[in-house]
Amino acid sequence: MPRTHHRARTRARIASAGAAATTLGGLAAAMVAGGAVAGASAHTKAHAAVVPLVVYSAQGYDKLVTQDFSKRYRIPVQLDDNSTGPLVTQIEASKNNPKWGLLWVDGPTVFAALDTQHMLVRGWEPKAPWNSLGIQSLPKDQSYIPISVTLAGAMAYNYAKVPNPPSTWQQLLSAKWKGQVGTNDPTQSGPTYPFIAGMMNELGGVKQGEAYFSKLKANGLVINPTNGPTLAALASGQINIALVQSSAAVGATFNDKAIRVKYLNPVTMLPGVIGIDVKAPAAEQAEAKLFVQYVLSPAGQKVMQFGDPTGDSLFYPVVKGVAPRKALPPLTGVKTQTIDPYKWGNLENSVNTWFEQNIIQ
Amino acid sequence: MATLVGRVPRPAALPAIRALSARGARLGRPALWLVIVLLILAPSACFLVLAFSPRLFSQGSQWFTLTFFRQVLTGTTAVALLNSVWVSLAAAAIGVVVGFPIAWLTHRTDLPARRLVAGAMWFVLLLPSWLPAIGWQRLVQPDGVMYRVGLDWPWVTHLVMGPFGVVLLLGLRAVPFSYLAVSAALTGLGQEFEDAARVHGAGRLGALRLVAPILAPAITSSIAIGFAESVSDFGVASTLAYASHFPLATYQLYEYIGGFPPNFPGAAAIGWLLVASVAVPLAIQARALRGRSYAVLSGRTRPVVRRQLTRPAKAAALGFVGLFYTAALGVPGFGAVSSSLLADFGASLKLTFTNYDQVFRSSGLAGPLERSLVYGAITASLTVVGGFVFAKMLAGARSASTRMLDFLLLAAVALPSVVFAAGYIFAYNLPALSAVGINLYQTVTLLVIGYVASSLPTNARVLVGAVSQVQRSLHEAARAHGSGSLRAWFRAVFPVLSKPLTMAWLLTFCGILLELPISSLLYAPGSPPLSVAIQDNLGNYHFGTGMAQAVVAVGFALVAVAVVLGGYRLLAPKGWRRLGGWTRG
Repeated sequence: MPRTHHRARTRARIASAGAAATTLGGLAAAMVAGGAVAGASAHTKAHAAVVPLVVYSAQGYDKLVTQDFSKRYRIPVQLDDNSTGPLVTQIEASKNNPKWGLLWVDGPTVFAALDTQHMLVRGWEPKAPWNSLGIQSLPKDQSYIPISVTLAGAMAYNYAKVPNPPSTWQQLLSAKWKGQVGTNDPTQSGPTYPFIAGMMNELGGVKQGEAYFSKLKANGLVINPTNGPTLAALASGQINIALVQSSAAVGATFNDKAIRVKYLNPVTMLPGVIGIDVKAPAAEQAEAKLFVQYVLSPAGQKVMQFGDPTGDSLFYPVVKGVAPRKALPPLTGVKTQTIDPYKWGNLENSVNTWFEQNIIQ
Repeated sequence: MATLVGRVPRPAALPAIRALSARGARLGRPALWLVIVLLILAPSACFLVLAFSPRLFSQGSQWFTLTFFRQVLTGTTAVALLNSVWVSLAAAAIGVVVGFPIAWLTHRTDLPARRLVAGAMWFVLLLPSWLPAIGWQRLVQPDGVMYRVGLDWPWVTHLVMGPFGVVLLLGLRAVPFSYLAVSAALTGLGQEFEDAARVHGAGRLGALRLVAPILAPAITSSIAIGFAESVSDFGVASTLAYASHFPLATYQLYEYIGGFPPNFPGAAAIGWLLVASVAVPLAIQARALRGRSYAVLSGRTRPVVRRQLTRPAKAAALGFVGLFYTAALGVPGFGAVSSSLLADFGASLKLTFTNYDQVFRSSGLAGPLERSLVYGAITASLTVVGGFVFAKMLAGARSASTRMLDFLLLAAVALPSVVFAAGYIFAYNLPALSAVGINLYQTVTLLVIGYVASSLPTNARVLVGAVSQVQRSLHEAARAHGSGSLRAWFRAVFPVLSKPLTMAWLLTFCGILLELPISSLLYAPGSPPLSVAIQDNLGNYHFGTGMAQAVVAVGFALVAVAVVLGGYRLLAPKGWRRLGGWTRG
């Protein structure tokens, strides 16, 4: 169905949608107050002014989540399920006349850049029972909302060949691990730049980080495009240690029992984040906020945790009362760090170019 | 004949028909140019203009700048551009050197299993280019299958995972285009030319020397399309070339668009240089065809006699053809099928049908597959009509208009699909259009228009070889026997072209079935096509499931090819098939 979304028509619609937005907002508040998902009956009044909610998402469980949301609230959802790259390309190419309602991908740097261009709704935060991971991931200007957390640069290793894996980042530089370590290309793999940026952040800056990765390269670092090929190289024995996103690393343990996962301190948090289009009609913004409330509710979290059991469902929750899936290693004793997405988002192109020219080539 | 004579129009009606026909021709050409402007020029221009004026579409602060050309003409991007040009020329040459003999062997000799050879060429054509690349990579990469079975040949790894491998793969990709163009030309080339040469004492080589220049339009067309397809290829650039640290321009362009934030002006500058690069094959083509006519297909064209190959010649021919298919199908087939049958990222050689089980149990596959089949059928039908019309224009008298059309169509082939897709967003999502109620972006309509626009240039180029061989006398003869213009075309010309048109339909259909860049950026939310669904799995760690989906999709494409070709064989009148096959003995 073609989506009528242009501004002229939208302005006329906004007035009538105002009441609906209020109703939806009230509903969201009621949900939080009740600590549960509100029933469909409470939503009946809003139904008359419902517009399709356009969800741009790169999450593996998004289809089930949007279906459940749509069923519960009788709000039609149009899902653009794609990789982060094409989604951002669509958003940037259509920014004169945007068609999206909310964007849901891993990594806050994308959202920091969109926020800098004033493309996101600011100053709204759901009243969720945040846990410590959630609190660490919240932006100061409330321009995006953390929904889940995975970790960038988790260490997957072949236990049969490496019963005693390295326990610090510096140990990876020793001759013992020469030619045995692999990671992804940050220009192809979204979660890899946050890992590199996290290392640079931890080591004190870009120069120090470049020196570290240069040494890692000298020690035989193997680069593959994305998580899949890097984990395939681990499984086939080409490498014995893979530095990849935690959900991919844990997912690989389902396929290959010899693979185990360990986090080296500090490990960089990679929140799964939602941002709302500032140019979307008020009614759609209200629906997007309701969607955020829903995915943070126990019902939404449950669908997220079972929608992609060997992939994106392997996340650490950001709200209290929801336990991570059993396959995930506990974070007890693990030092996590958050990188400033506004600072490191600006450096993404230059760092990736340096990495491509000096580490990959 | 009696029927035809009985329907001769009354003399008084003839001037009226001619006047109507002339008016149609006068209106037709501007209408065609309007289609080109709306479908190809406007979206491409909207994207390419960003290289000079990023501010036009809020992609920067400059109204006019050359910064982005300077940016892409330095460093890795400049190297990638040079690589793309020489690699594409080499690939186009391989396409002709391999495609020509195979076309000749299947159409002019008694080569055993020649029907199988011709059918398998479609298989090569419908495989997305990344699939053969991954297959080769899995075979020769460090710790790949070659090493696991005990063949410790690092020199093979270095050979394949480098410029040689990239040229080889792109060359294999170019072979079907050459094969189709030359096959179409051979189909129309009667026996009389070879007979004439032999009567005048020429040996087999001498006869070939006579015939080869007559096939010049097909050969130069093959070189041009092979170059343009190679220079715009992304599948090999993003897999084998990338893994071999051998940068190609399309990958650099993709990095500009897919990087964060996207650098559309830089990508547009690369796009300009790719478009400019098609001047190379066009110059070759123009030089070869200047001032000559190649219309050989008429009502008097004689069926050919298949040459009887000697036993050693048969063995050599089969070896040559077998080698090609092993490289083009055997290795990638192994790569794709093995990836889809291994559930553990390929750690062991334990085979399982888990991935296929998931594909068939998942409710998410049927919808995208169904959609892509429908999109493919609609696009192919529209494209064949448009492709024929453009091919006819190209095959007509050379004028400034046809030269411009020739360049535009080839330049459009050379533009990577992702440029088209992004251009469509810029061109058809303007606030001004929305203000007047035109909201095409993220609708199925715009997706299909994008498919048609991206398929049309290749389709026209593939058809031009066959269309240029049809003499006007065929149409005129039917007119002289009393048929109206349209009826004359359907009765006299269409039967001759029915086979090439069917093949062109299949080419587009198969291409759209697994098309990714345009699908990815233009699909209507909630209605993902097949390639997007597959990419979703490949990108979400379900590599095996994604590969299984790709294998199933290729299987469906094969079924579609079999149904269409089988349908043609069953339904087309015997005379059409004889013209399509046009062989004797």
